[in-house]
Amino acid sequence: MEDLKKAIMDYAESSKKTKFYFSDLEKAVKKVKPDAKAREVKKAATALINEEKLIYFSTGSSTMYGMKGRGQTEDH
Amino acid sequence: MAFEPREEQTKLKYQELRIYSDEELNNYTEDELKSFKVKHNIPDLDELEKGPWPSFVADSKREALRRHKLPEDRMMIKPEVVEDMLGQLQLSFDHGETHWKHGGIVGVFGYGGGVIGRYSDMQDTFPSIAHFHTMRVNQPASKFYDTDYLRTICDLWEYRGSGMMNMHGSTGDIIFLGTFTEQLEPIFFELGHVLQQDLGGSGSNLRTPSCCIGKARCEWSCYDTQEMCYELTHFYQDELHRPAFPYKFKFKFDGCPNGCVASIARSDMSFIGNWRDDIRIDQAAVKAYMGGEIAPNGGAHAGRDWGKFDIQKEVIDLCPTSCMWMEGDTLKIDDKECTRCMHCINVMPQALRPGKDTGVSLLFGAKAPILEGAQMSVLTIPFMKTEPPYDNVKEVVEKVWDWWMEEGKNRERLGELIQRYGIPKFLEVLEIPPMPQMVTAPRANPYIFWKEEDVEGGWDRSIDDYRSRHAR
Repeated sequence: MEDLKKAIMDYAESSKKTKFYFSDLEKAVKKVKPDAKAREVKKAATALINEEKLIYFSTGSSTMYGMKGRGQTEDH
Repeated sequence: MAFEPREEQTKLKYQELRIYSDEELNNYTEDELKSFKVKHNIPDLDELEKGPWPSFVADSKREALRRHKLPEDRMMIKPEVVEDMLGQLQLSFDHGETHWKHGGIVGVFGYGGGVIGRYSDMQDTFPSIAHFHTMRVNQPASKFYDTDYLRTICDLWEYRGSGMMNMHGSTGDIIFLGTFTEQLEPIFFELGHVLQQDLGGSGSNLRTPSCCIGKARCEWSCYDTQEMCYELTHFYQDELHRPAFPYKFKFKFDGCPNGCVASIARSDMSFIGNWRDDIRIDQAAVKAYMGGEIAPNGGAHAGRDWGKFDIQKEVIDLCPTSCMWMEGDTLKIDDKECTRCMHCINVMPQALRPGKDTGVSLLFGAKAPILEGAQMSVLTIPFMKTEPPYDNVKEVVEKVWDWWMEEGKNRERLGELIQRYGIPKFLEVLEIPPMPQMVTAPRANPYIFWKEEDVEGGWDRSIDDYRSRHAR
């Protein structure tokens, strides 16, 4: 789990984007850990949400992940 | 089998939970309403009140007046929220463009859905709707609730939100319309810990599952829609609240092919009750319909004289597969040709009933038009027996999700993925053989594309054996 979380955060921190689809996170993790399963990546992303390192961004119809403190804030 | 909730349920008592007194809830007269003017000039909205239909403008004005008269400390967001909403809507009509900003990062802790951020881009003019977030509340199965529940959620929303709600959104949820960010967690706490009520799905989640009234009130229901809806809602909590799908995914449960929740048109995975034996016929009741002793269509359309019931014209000739006929005064049905259109059963409910060997048909891929236009679900599993805890259904669900999560593009619905890859690939994923029931029309393309695994010996097979019989 910790290595998956690290791979997600490495990708999120190095990306120029402020929001990512789940599939972006999954691809980034699979570059580092090719045998990682989508469900494991989701669990790691959920743990990062609970640790308040990642945040959800929702348009209402689709949802993306973002990094806390980067890009949009709750006041927008 | 009696319903067994996953957790002990407390009977809500409005008298113990209420926030407002009767006087506060009935704090204006009809005369006051007639003379009440909202704080903005809204000529186009006033126009919408005219005509025979109920209008949200009329309802909004009532709510605006109630909030106007309530003491300000009896509401956690501004009393003018309804008036500002109407004012901004008028301005949007004037400008021909919306003044809402949609989406964002607001939500409740740990949930990726259930709250949809919305903000005004005219916050100086309409400060009370600077935030106007929507909350989706997971409706009880079949939307059964009592007045204690309804009154309690109405009080909660009056206190912490705008007081405006939709009963119900298209997915079925109760929609709370308009509150500020700081109210989200207190509302969620109250819903979860006091009302035992969860938020629904939004975004790239499993959306709130929705079912018809099922066996609770309908004799045609071929499976317990409420129970399956409840079980799958609980079993897939993670998918409902923590989004990781390429896009939205909807389950809907219809108890019979009448499709009262229109699952075939509105859900990525449609569950439609079905039977695999014969339609049950009560020939004495058939005669009673023919003789005019029982009103057809359950007595509907009785406001006008439609003449004597004619079974040939009104039932047999309308059968889409022509699988019914009369032999003397006996009704016959060739059941293997029946496509479950339900017309004959609907017209003569006392004479005809679905069979007794009941289960569910699974269809996949319906959606409303965005990319490829609207499409209906495709019949994929013609019949499946279902019993709690529905392990066979869950197995299918998870195969579909694994494939869609692996192959689906961002914002691609399951139906579009099936279209992109073709039904044969989808059947491979589900590990089921093609079946005649999946075919809607004879093929128009004369070519057959063989796969290597379908050809004995593969592409590299020796042709010596063939040549031994066929000279070059």
